[in-house]
Order: sequence, then C-alpha cells, then structure tokens
Amino acid sequence: MRFNSFREMIGYYAENTPEAPALKYEKEGALKTESFAELLAAVDARASELKKGGKTCLGLFADGSRDCIVELFAAVTAGLQLVMLDESVPVMILRGLLPYTDVDTLWGDPETCAELQSSLTSGVENGAGRMLFFTSGTTERSKAVVLTEKSFCSSAYNGGSLLPLDPSDTLMCMLPLGHVFGFVCGLLWGLSCGACVALGRGPRHYIDDLAFFKPTALSAVPLLLGFLVKNGLLNEELKLVLIGAGDCPPPLIQAVKARGVRVSFGYGLTETSSGVALSLGDDPYSMTVCPDDKITIADDGEILIDVPTCIMQGYYKDPEATARAVGSGVLRTGDLGYFDKNGLLRITGRKKDMLVLADGTKLFIPEAEAELSKLLPGVDLAVMLNGSRVVLAVHGTEMSDAELIAAIKPYQDSRPRGQQIGSFARFDRPLPRTATGKIKRWELQKKY
Amino acid sequence: MTRQELFDRTVKIIHDCVPELEGVELKEDSVVNTDMGMDSMNFILVICKLEAEFGVRIPNKLWPKLSTLGEVLDAIEKYKK
Repeated sequence: MRFNSFREMIGYYAENTPEAPALKYEKEGALKTESFAELLAAVDARASELKKGGKTCLGLFADGSRDCIVELFAAVTAGLQLVMLDESVPVMILRGLLPYTDVDTLWGDPETCAELQSSLTSGVENGAGRMLFFTSGTTERSKAVVLTEKSFCSSAYNGGSLLPLDPSDTLMCMLPLGHVFGFVCGLLWGLSCGACVALGRGPRHYIDDLAFFKPTALSAVPLLLGFLVKNGLLNEELKLVLIGAGDCPPPLIQAVKARGVRVSFGYGLTETSSGVALSLGDDPYSMTVCPDDKITIADDGEILIDVPTCIMQGYYKDPEATARAVGSGVLRTGDLGYFDKNGLLRITGRKKDMLVLADGTKLFIPEAEAELSKLLPGVDLAVMLNGSRVVLAVHGTEMSDAELIAAIKPYQDSRPRGQQIGSFARFDRPLPRTATGKIKRWELQKKY
Repeated sequence: MTRQELFDRTVKIIHDCVPELEGVELKEDSVVNTDMGMDSMNFILVICKLEAEFGVRIPNKLWPKLSTLGEVLDAIEKYKK
C-alpha cells in the first residue's frame, strides 16, 4: 500500500486489521504486543498533547523503545519538525547541533536532555512534516538532510513492493532509528506491510534479541549480521535478511543462505530516504531498481538517481550543498556502478574520497586527514581501511604507537567508534602522491 | 576485589570473547574498542559478558564513550557500587 503519512499508514491497518500486532517489545522482562488500533490511539493521544504544548521542533534521541516510536509518530502527526539525534554523540557537539536545527524541545534520557536545555531555541516556522536525519554518523561534520514523512512512506512502499512482508511476519528492528536504513528498513518496511515490528532492546541484547522475539525478517548492517552469524544467534523462524548500508563480504552472505534464509541486499542513501534498489534473485549484488526510481549512469560511471517521491528537500540551511547535490533535479551519488546484461544495477565503488565503514557510517577522508595533521604536525599521513578497521598510515615520525594514540586523542574522542583509528601502518618512504600533492590511495593500499 | 583482580578477570573475559587477542599483552591504557582486532561488535559482546560476570549495569549511553581498558574497569567499579 502507498501511504502519504505515518498516521494514514497506521490508521489503515487500525481500521482493517485492528487486532493485528503492530509492535512487540519487552516490558519488565515480559513480551508485550501492541495492536495497530492501540498504536493509533497512543499516537493520536500524544499528538494531541504535543499540539497543545506549542512546541515546533522536537529533538528525538531515538532509543528504539515503544515510547520513542509513539513520540516519533505523534510529533510528526502533530506538525512538529523532527530532528533525529544520537545519544552517543558528545554533548559538546549536540550543543552545536540543536541551535543549528532549531530544536525547541527534547525527548530522551532525562539527564542528557537536562544537560542540553540551555541550547534549545525558540523554534522554527513552517517545519511541519520535515524530518532531519544526519549523514555520516551524526557528527558536527555531518549534514542534516531534510526528508519528509511522505518521502519515507514512499520509500517504504518502494521496498515493500519489491520485498513484501505480510501480517504473519515479524520484522526485527535492531538498528539505530537515527539512520534512514534503520528507520525505513527496521520499522516502516514492516508497518507499511501490516506486519509486526519487534523493537530490539539495544546493544546489550544483541546476543538474545532474536531468540526472544523470534522474527521472520531482519534488516542488518554487515557488521551486525557478521556478529549474529559468528555467534550462532540467527533464530530458526528467520526466513529473510535485508542487508544494507555497507559492503557485505560474500562468505557472510553464503553463511546466511546456507541456513535456508533468503538474503537481499539494498542500495540507497540518506538523501533518497533509504533504498532505491534491492537484490531479489540469487545474486545479492545484482539489484532491481525500485518502482518510483529512475537510475542512470553518467559517462564517468557515477550513479545518478531521479526519484521525485523519495528525494530529500535539501541539506538544512545549506543551499549551496543542496544545489551541488540535486541542483539539476537528479542526485549525484558519488557511487560508481553499471547495469549488467540483465538490466540489474551493480555497484563497483566510490567516486568520492569517502570510506564506507562496516557499521554503515561514512568517513570523509580529507576532513579526517586535515584534523589528524593538526594533531601530528610534520607527519606524513593518510587514512585508509583494512577490513573493517580504519588505519592511519604514517611516515616521518619516531613516535611509538602509544605516543601516537595520545597525540590523536582529541580526534578519537570526537568520532563515533567505527571511525576511530584502529591501528597504524608505518611507511619507510614518503607516502605516494600525485603531482598536485594528493595521496595516491590505490597505490597506498597496494603497498600496505 | 582489588583493581588487579578486576583487571585479571576482565582480561580473561576479553581473551575468551576475542580469541584473536590471545597472547596480546593488554594494559590499562590499551585501546580496547578499536585496537588490535576488537571491532565494535566484539566490544559489545565483551561488555555484556563483563556485566554478567560482575553484576553491573553500565548505562547504554556510556558504552560508545569507553575507549581504554582502564576506562572499562572504572565503569565496572563505579556501577558496581
């Protein structure tokens, strides 16, 4: 079904299958179920309260709980602008993000919210329907992408039309809702199909969530999926895994398929409200373009996306960056790919200087290197990737690893864990560069 | 329990959870969440095991902020009280 709003989505099933389970979650150790009718009632009641409250922009620390889901849908239904926040981001950075995004009220851990009270603003005008998601791990270098509930509903429709779930399914939601892949493929995909969504209990329960909720479908990033497979945590009832937000090693996909579980791979961006192509056949790397999307390949191999129903409104308060990305009406992805002989999309790499990490976040290499160079003056350095680990290549220093770690501590402290330097690679000779001084990354990787 | 006892039991759990670290000398200033083969998922597994071992509950929001082994030990001591 295609919906235009979250309330319409929940309301449709509340009217047609009112007793069908919409959410499963744990409360005080017991498994609770909330029907679509109950969820709609809760959303409407909270939306009514929010409307009376007079606030205009909610900063939501999306912990994935049942109350968080109700608050999220209620805020959008009530016409508030919604900003998705990540509690793992240092308070110092959050203090800068709140004024930038016009947040005038917060939902989340009371202690964290109290710390941020002084950074709240007087709100925003005409923010109704806008949902702001941060690219690249919610750091201060991120851009706030302006999406809408309508674009998300379209994205959920696109995914669900290629990969449908039904009311007998339970979709496991374990990923952070502050990332569009987690939000769309962990939550909206299920609800838009009338399926039940099991709300994961956070990292502490990665080891037993699948056994507790017994889902039939799971969306996961490669790192999480690898963890679940390695520790034998996939449940018997599981029949479909949707992988997204990063490259997935073939052996991992084979390990999942060997258990009789169907594996699908999704490709999309924050700017497109999540997925634009999904693999449906045996080859997880050959993807079918979603119904609303038109994808073309530029002369240099860059993937261009034309998807009016799901495309972002722009980067918040950044018209120049918006014009660069979608000025022509088509999104320049920075990804490289081609259509194979069957007309299926295959991704071959990245055009931009960007590392896509195993946890799905992206590391902008020039920014990271500039920051590290300030902390290690005189050191010839470059950031590279070894498997899932970010490696700092260095030349021209006799500092020990411990001294290097101490020197780059400000960088480490300001980054999500997956973006932190995991080890050092020492080079006897200057790092390979082009005539204009740019690192020859392919050569560096080869030497490493 | 002394700090040294806490350290020894923690290191044993790390080695049990991440066999790749067997034989690697760990110190209090060792970066345990990104260094030497322990990716973020292994780190989560280690914290879960430590919580069960020592009967503590470290708040979720602190997990990403724990960097060194010493900081992990500090958190266990703080939330054990």
